[in-house]
Amino acid sequence: MLIETGIDRLDELLKGGVPAITNVMLYSPPFIGKENILKKFVLSGLEKGEPVIFVLTDKSFSEMRKEMETLDKKFLEYEKGGRVKYIDVYSKGVELNEKGKNVIFVDSPINREKITASIIATEKEFTQKYGRHRLIFDSISTLIVYSDAKAVFRFLQVVSGTCKRLGATSIFSMTRGMHEEIEVQTIKHLMDGVIEMREDASRMQIRVQGCGEVVSRNWIDYLLEKDEIKLTGAFRMSRVA
Amino acid sequence: MTETGIPKLDEYLEGGIPEGKSLLFYISPEVEEDNIGIHVLYHNLEMGKQCIYVVSKSSPKQLEQSFREFGWDMKKYGEKLCIVDGYSRLIGAPSEEKYVILEPHDILSYEDVINETLENTPGSVVVVFDSLSTILDLCGEIEALQGIYRINDEINRQNGISIYNFTSWPYKESIIYRIKRGFDSIVEISPMSRESLIGQKYHISKISWGGKTGKTVIFRIYKPGGMKIYIPKILVMGPFRSGKTTFIRALSKQFTSVDRLGATIAIEHGTVDHAGCRAEVFGIPGQERFSPLMNKIGATATGALLVMDSSRPEYFEEIKKIANDIRNKNIPYVIVANKQDSTGGLDEYELKRRIGLEDATVVKTVATEGKGVFDAFEVLVNKIIEGGEMNAD
Repeated sequence: MLIETGIDRLDELLKGGVPAITNVMLYSPPFIGKENILKKFVLSGLEKGEPVIFVLTDKSFSEMRKEMETLDKKFLEYEKGGRVKYIDVYSKGVELNEKGKNVIFVDSPINREKITASIIATEKEFTQKYGRHRLIFDSISTLIVYSDAKAVFRFLQVVSGTCKRLGATSIFSMTRGMHEEIEVQTIKHLMDGVIEMREDASRMQIRVQGCGEVVSRNWIDYLLEKDEIKLTGAFRMSRVA
Repeated sequence: MTETGIPKLDEYLEGGIPEGKSLLFYISPEVEEDNIGIHVLYHNLEMGKQCIYVVSKSSPKQLEQSFREFGWDMKKYGEKLCIVDGYSRLIGAPSEEKYVILEPHDILSYEDVINETLENTPGSVVVVFDSLSTILDLCGEIEALQGIYRINDEINRQNGISIYNFTSWPYKESIIYRIKRGFDSIVEISPMSRESLIGQKYHISKISWGGKTGKTVIFRIYKPGGMKIYIPKILVMGPFRSGKTTFIRALSKQFTSVDRLGATIAIEHGTVDHAGCRAEVFGIPGQERFSPLMNKIGATATGALLVMDSSRPEYFEEIKKIANDIRNKNIPYVIVANKQDSTGGLDEYELKRRIGLEDATVVKTVATEGKGVFDAFEVLVNKIIEGGEMNAD
């Protein structure tokens, strides 16, 4: 069973999508399309009736809602239908007075206990109502910045296991360039696959590690046009453009 | 002795925590509510004790918020509550607290500030740490533990007690071993997942001063309300017109029933909130034709109250039948000898003899006046807990 990412040629590269009920890390520097992949993944799920959980450490839930609405007008309908839930780990910390029906607020990125409990509670609700669902965790990097990689590793050990047990297909984002290599490797170790992005001499490239069977494991060029990610590099026959 | 205020726990601890001792709540990361220490803090503030609360993973403002959610007012304790802020510096925020840990990544900084706080709050204090695991993560596990043990010694010297929340993330075995050795008492908290039952349970795994280890109690955390023992299903049974409905009404703060001509024809439901315990109570109609219902509901019951009319011997045979039925299902039960105000009511010994159940527990009640109904409830709750009914998961 494969779960589409919602980006046509990326799904082609993945031979249909990422394997269902796995944990995937999205590892990328800022501003080169990471958020775009996350959002497309969310929308492609909602279109198929799969509910989505956002865990947000760097922006408020209302900011995310606005961005999603800009991308797809139907987003608010999905949310009204109860298929979108947020765990907002940002607003309380910066003393934003946000309120919302589908949100659980966590006061601090250091409060990993509350984040875990909120994820479990929301996933249980979705599992009972809908079965399969998707989870976006954006981002692990913030958690590491506020404590340390080992502590976050232990947290992810619990969370990644729970996500699988409760039937979520999850993407955990991590910002490239913020962490020591050993930290990245440790976290990767907990994942079933990594979608990695980089900017190399003005070329943007993407590659897939793990994630079951894929067409190519090479770096593939892509373009970022009007919030759309377009894989331009060839990957049939394992050729790199 | 310092009470924890947690239902049943003080009894198992032989009255509470002796001076100079520490208690660790060893909490599974999968539980819904991890701040168990806050309930001990609240109880002791209510008792008028001097308390110190050390925050590491949440802002001091969050404590006020949590108190509000439980329906408690933090402000009213004034100087009885002293907050040590180990959080604000961590995120670079200003702090309004008097005691601030300047280097939250250094256990020595914790020690300095806590020692200073202890000096300024003489006498027996209750010190509650919101998250030992966060301190371990921030300061390095071994160093942090050594520092924490030194802090415990200081608290001990002042005849205080210390309470820690510790989330049992997958730490190395050697760290877990040290933690389990280093505290005087340990209460493990884990999620409860029997059938659709949502709740948490505590299990006492270590007490260095005696008391009863090995006990397990299911609880829920209510907002507002706080921590309460939770009993998911108590059946109230008994023959026709024995006073079941009146009994449930007298016991419950919320009640729903279906009546027809005075006899109950469907299940009644009440929620009991008494002595730190919340229970769901279900009344099963007396008529024979409802016995399939009993078989279905009875299979998952936690306990049963068997209500009888003490003045009507013609029903004694039926009581015996129902009692045997409950026994066969291994459900703890109490016989409620109701209508004690009626003439012809028999005494306890005579009742047991006449029913033929000499070893049963009987509690006398007058449900119409509310007499004895809560005694019956308490006796049953104790039977359920002591009988290990809560150990099964």
